[in-house]
Amino acid sequence: MDKQKENSLMNNAINGQATLDTPMRFERPSILTQVLFALFVLFFLWSTSNAGLSISELLSGLPNMATIGGEMIPPATDRAWPMANAILVTFQMALVGTVIGIALSIPIAILAARNASPHPIVRHVTRSVVSFFRTVPDLAWALFFVASVGLGPFAGTLTIIVDTIGFCARFFAESMEEVDPGPSEALASIGANPIDRIAVVLIPGAMPSFINISLFSLEKAVRSSVVLGLVGAGGIGAELAVSMEMFRYDQAAMIVLMIFVLVFAVEQFSSSTRNRLLRQSK
Amino acid sequence: MSNYAAEPTTLADASVSATSRLLQVSGLTKSFDNSSTPIFSDVSFSIFASQSVALIGSNGAGKSTLLRCCLRLIEPDAGSIVLDGETIDKKSGRHLSKARNKVGFVFQKHCLVPRLSALSNVLHGNLAYSQGPRNWLQGLAKQEARERAMDCLKQVGLAHLANKRCDQLSGGQSQRVAVARALMQQPSILFADEPTASLDPQSAQEIMELFNGLVKNQGLTLFFVSHNIEHALKYADRVLGLQERKLSLDSATHTQSLQSLRAFYG
Repeated sequence: MDKQKENSLMNNAINGQATLDTPMRFERPSILTQVLFALFVLFFLWSTSNAGLSISELLSGLPNMATIGGEMIPPATDRAWPMANAILVTFQMALVGTVIGIALSIPIAILAARNASPHPIVRHVTRSVVSFFRTVPDLAWALFFVASVGLGPFAGTLTIIVDTIGFCARFFAESMEEVDPGPSEALASIGANPIDRIAVVLIPGAMPSFINISLFSLEKAVRSSVVLGLVGAGGIGAELAVSMEMFRYDQAAMIVLMIFVLVFAVEQFSSSTRNRLLRQSK
Repeated sequence: MSNYAAEPTTLADASVSATSRLLQVSGLTKSFDNSSTPIFSDVSFSIFASQSVALIGSNGAGKSTLLRCCLRLIEPDAGSIVLDGETIDKKSGRHLSKARNKVGFVFQKHCLVPRLSALSNVLHGNLAYSQGPRNWLQGLAKQEARERAMDCLKQVGLAHLANKRCDQLSGGQSQRVAVARALMQQPSILFADEPTASLDPQSAQEIMELFNGLVKNQGLTLFFVSHNIEHALKYADRVLGLQERKLSLDSATHTQSLQSLRAFYG
């Protein structure tokens, strides 16, 4: 809008001669939006039948649930030590996998961030690799690594590293892209090179997000490392699978309790660490 | 509007030679988004050592764009820029970065790294000359650089806040840290893009006094953009005015009045 027109509208507004109509409270959705919404509803209804939703099967399963629930109480303590050892290994797998994954995620995120990547092609390739790491489920990675390096915690740790890169590299890159560009422009104006600008502006600027994402990643890794044992990738999952297969629901209950304590403890630790680190001055 | 030859006019400036011409801009033109109408065109002026020059103009006149074009932070469409005797039109990469070393830049919003201390932020001025982790954080810096950064903070009166995080400083204090960062760079010329726009009148006055002291006492050359014509009249030796896509004023400040400069905001 040119200056004259803007001034004329402003004068009209001041003199109470504004002629623009009050907009409608709600705008009518476009035909395309209505069609897309109808398609979504149809697809959802079709999905409910394919998802096997069945009230009758749920009702007939209730007595079984009650029986299994009954057999779980009281939880068995006869194998408490081997189980405690397995839960420790589970946590160690998660910790090592997460720390290595985070360390690898930082340079990958720099290559993937719009405001840090050396070239758009590098950014697209890096983003594609990270997307691939993220979209392949961790159980599929676990099966791949079990087949490659054999049964045991190493396969689980490798799975967690890949899973952590898929999660952290993406969100690290996005948090770097959200950093205020002002300080970087200020340093560019005096001739600072891109590596210095990344180290001095982007990484400190994104640090609160890095800490948050890393701690969420640790929580996520602990939860997924429990499941990895089901396919032979080490940890408490293998114990849980054996207990369920042998109908030792009391032992399974003990394992579930231990998993709950581990996940709860990690979440509490991560929450308090997050608050403490974010308060600390640099 | 009286036009003014870009040469210095005061008695002290009479001895100024071409070598003291720190910035020479010729025929600078810039348009955005392939628009046929440029935001400004054929802008030419020079800035001489130890001068304080104000650039005024209404919103959208292209003042900040012009300032950035002078350093090629925004690429001009046409024109030539000579910075401290060096033509920077064709420079790129490391050569352009090196040319920019000589120019300090203070922005409207201080543009500090909020989570780092004032001292670390001042130290970043050193990145103009020396790269690497030694200049990333004050804890990693050489003792000599830390002492120089402290000197710069002393010059802006903030040595007592050296270890304070920048997100805990007031707007005026943050802008002083930004000035200290520019001083750390030991610039030949200091650009300031509306450095007082986000400050209250008292802080704005303090920042302008600080600039004035640096110009008068240390011979720093200042090129600042301002909407505050009182500041332009009080603190600048020369005033440039952008209007209707042209540099329509280049004049010694003492020949101008509040009334004549208000015409740029009509």
